[in-house]
Amino acid sequence: MTFRQFAFNNVLRNKRLYIAYFLSSLFTVMVFFTFAIFAFHPAFSGGKVNQNALIGMAVAGGIIYVFSFFFVLYSMSSFLQSRKKEFGLLIMFGASNKQIRWMVFLENILIGFFATVGGILTGLVFAKAILLIAENVLIIEESLYFYFPTWAIIITFISFIFLFFCISLFVSFILRTNKLVDLIKGDKKSKGEPKASVILSVFAALLIAVGYGVSLYVEGLQVVAALIPVVLVVTLGTYLLFTQLSVYIIRRLKGNKLVFWRKTNMLLFSDLSFRMKDNARTFFMVAIISTVAFSAIGTLYGFQSYLTKGMKEVNQYTLSYSPWGNDSNETIENDLSIINGILEEEKIDSKMETLELTYFDNLIPDARVLVVKASDYNRFAALIGESEVHPAEQEAIVVEQSSAMLSEGPKASELLMDSPIALKDGTIVLPSQVVDTEVLNIMTGYYVVHDNVFEKFTSPDYRDFIAVWKAEDAGKEQLIEVGSKINEAIEYKVTAIDYQLYEIDKTFGPILFIGLFIGIVFFVSAGSFLYFRLFTDLEGEKQKFSSIAKIGLTDSELKKVVNRQVALLFFSPIVVALIHGAVALTALSNFFNYNLTVEASIVLGSFTLIQIIYFLIVRYFYVKQVMRAVM
Amino acid sequence: MLKLTKVSKIYEGKVAYRALTDIDLEIEKGEFVAIMGPSGSGKTTLLNIISTNDSPTTGQVEIDGRDPHKLKKNALAKFRRNELGFIFQDFNLLHTLTVEENIVLPLTLDGTRVKEMKEKAHQLAKSLGIEAIMSKRTYEISGGQAQRVAIARAMIHEPKLLLADEPTGNLDSKASKDVMGMLVSINEREKTSLLMVTHDPQAASYSDRVVFIRDGRLHSEIHRGESRQAFFQKIIDMLSLMGGDGNDFSSVRV
Ligand SMILES: Nc1ncnc2c1ncn2[C@@H]1O[C@H](COP(=O)(O)OP(=O)(O)OP(=O)(O)O)[C@@H](O)[C@H]1O
Ligand SMILES: [Mg+2]
Repeated sequence: MTFRQFAFNNVLRNKRLYIAYFLSSLFTVMVFFTFAIFAFHPAFSGGKVNQNALIGMAVAGGIIYVFSFFFVLYSMSSFLQSRKKEFGLLIMFGASNKQIRWMVFLENILIGFFATVGGILTGLVFAKAILLIAENVLIIEESLYFYFPTWAIIITFISFIFLFFCISLFVSFILRTNKLVDLIKGDKKSKGEPKASVILSVFAALLIAVGYGVSLYVEGLQVVAALIPVVLVVTLGTYLLFTQLSVYIIRRLKGNKLVFWRKTNMLLFSDLSFRMKDNARTFFMVAIISTVAFSAIGTLYGFQSYLTKGMKEVNQYTLSYSPWGNDSNETIENDLSIINGILEEEKIDSKMETLELTYFDNLIPDARVLVVKASDYNRFAALIGESEVHPAEQEAIVVEQSSAMLSEGPKASELLMDSPIALKDGTIVLPSQVVDTEVLNIMTGYYVVHDNVFEKFTSPDYRDFIAVWKAEDAGKEQLIEVGSKINEAIEYKVTAIDYQLYEIDKTFGPILFIGLFIGIVFFVSAGSFLYFRLFTDLEGEKQKFSSIAKIGLTDSELKKVVNRQVALLFFSPIVVALIHGAVALTALSNFFNYNLTVEASIVLGSFTLIQIIYFLIVRYFYVKQVMRAVM
Repeated sequence: MLKLTKVSKIYEGKVAYRALTDIDLEIEKGEFVAIMGPSGSGKTTLLNIISTNDSPTTGQVEIDGRDPHKLKKNALAKFRRNELGFIFQDFNLLHTLTVEENIVLPLTLDGTRVKEMKEKAHQLAKSLGIEAIMSKRTYEISGGQAQRVAIARAMIHEPKLLLADEPTGNLDSKASKDVMGMLVSINEREKTSLLMVTHDPQAASYSDRVVFIRDGRLHSEIHRGESRQAFFQKIIDMLSLMGGDGNDFSSVRV
């Protein structure tokens, strides 16, 4: 048997040991490849997609690659850790260092090669599945058809073969530095707990607190300026949180015999600290990746809802028409008949109201104000089911549209409320109350006065015209169709809300999809980091539990330990990520000055739910595996 | 205390292998029995069956009037933890724990008070001479020390039946004398029944009775008379009679 044959057989016969490492590598390749398929999709390179989205994708691709590198490196190092003893024995029996390094190198190249090929193949299937989902869920104009991703294959293949090559070289170098005795005792010796210092632990808490403080404090454009420093500070804080603070806490717990020697705690915590280095790194990576996922998806979702929800609220009418300032009456007549014609053509029942808007200077300082007759207001209000108003003769009602108020500063209503109206005949009309409705859809706010009083307002300084339609039980499709036709016939003068929302969704679709995809990819890979973390240690765990079972360990005790172990692994990084994400989204909502509570809750809530389901599934299989070993 | 009736064990596999055939064995409370036999004769298998780590293919095991193989899983775990103590051929220590933690492990699972655990561990460690290594990890101690840690762990909860697989296998003659002395004193003081598998006639001579097995069957047994020296000689004779090479067992250690 040549040494090469030995190396080859070694892999084949130790399948179980290699499989965790192989699968985690394969999965990483798959994630990257799926991502590459989209990044190189002809639909995106056609130039129709927002340039920013492309940059975003490139950045995300880079992040995925960097994380892949560390992930593969970590999996490999825990994999080698579990094989130290084997190397030690080989050396003891006379294998030269060079031979061992060559063996490890060959193995890794072999595993890397198959993982790359396998990852590309499974990636093709995975991408197909995602495309199917995307087509059905999102409105995407440039349909994301399935194509043969030559470029993605080439890029993925080269990147990962290169990555595995580097890591293989790197790892075979690490091996050189180890002493034989250390190798042989390798499986008993902990990789070490990172050094835990009180100062750094406090520093970790401090960094995070400062990061949070700043991101919650800043508003508006400051958010952008604060973004990068805050991200850096919080990332560093998170790293220290896991490598220092958590180590410190576990040390304290271990030091306290009352806690540590209580029932199954000893088994739980000793293990946690035994693998603290690996765990801390994994926790850190998972927390950061998940935060990226939460924030990316939360941002996009929030942004979309910001755009569409605002529009929906403001535009209660199906159609609203306002002519250019210099349009003649004929033009307006003509436009209206075109619109009504199209509505008829599409067989849509609708009610129309028109109104001549009268604006007056000098009612309030430095601005022109619209004054509307109560009966006119009520006509429009009836259309969208708003309640009527009935101002007394010497009363004016201020109407404002607070949902349309995007900017900060004093509300329009404040100024209007403070301005009594003195009419030419000496009557004084006092603004009495503010009503918040979307009737007439005028952002700056206006007065509604009694019909009789309105007659006394003479010669308005400016006239405008408005016409609105409210459709009765028409399908969404129909309305979009109408909107599109009207938009073609009369450009810019008509707001057809359903059509406009559709247009937004259409342009936003691919961006949302990419964001969602990146988010999901990140989240899934975070989950799989955790899973493979567990899986790598499985053999050792099995041995440990069967040892203890020989002394006597009940099933419920075993389950308790395993349960807590898996739960800690799955939830501690996620909880941190959830908090990070919540803070990030709060900062975002400060930036837009738009309340994102609902959106953030939905996004974070669904991720929590997914994580719980993920936890339950993994736990089920993990417990089953361990139980089988104990039997 | 312990009663085996017609215990047989067949290892299923590609080729079924009969490791034990019709073993009858009885051990009184407080008795110290050694089991000897050539390598591969089925000693560990027998011990595993008694310790409930493995189940017999046919036959019955009775410990303190109960058949542990008929207990439910949880009850069995508690039974092991409370009634039995084990010293394994390969120590079976947990390497994520320190020596002291390994020793108290069986007690922590039962929720014993910390103070009590510490006291017991300390006492045992003192009598076994391992106080100095209590806070070390398992990779930092010698084979003989690991052996003593395993003994301490097996005894900390004062089991009724202590099962030991080659407890002196890793020790020099001085250390093995110490360990045997320990076992005998526990046996006498606590009236703990002791069943020990060993290759070492020196160690076996500390027992009340030696049972020989060969090819999975009971071969013979000899009782200790007045003098340990004579007993030792009888054991050696029996071993050479059995075909195992008597000189194999370091006759130098007298
Ligand atoms: N799990 C198993 N499956 C199949 N055969 C086994 C198994 N365990 C042990 N055997 C076989 O049963 C026989 C008895 O093994 P056992 O371990 O009881 O020997 P032993 O008397 O303890 O030997 P030693 O003194 O070397 O420890 C041996 O021939 C062994 O090959
Ligand atoms: Mg044996």
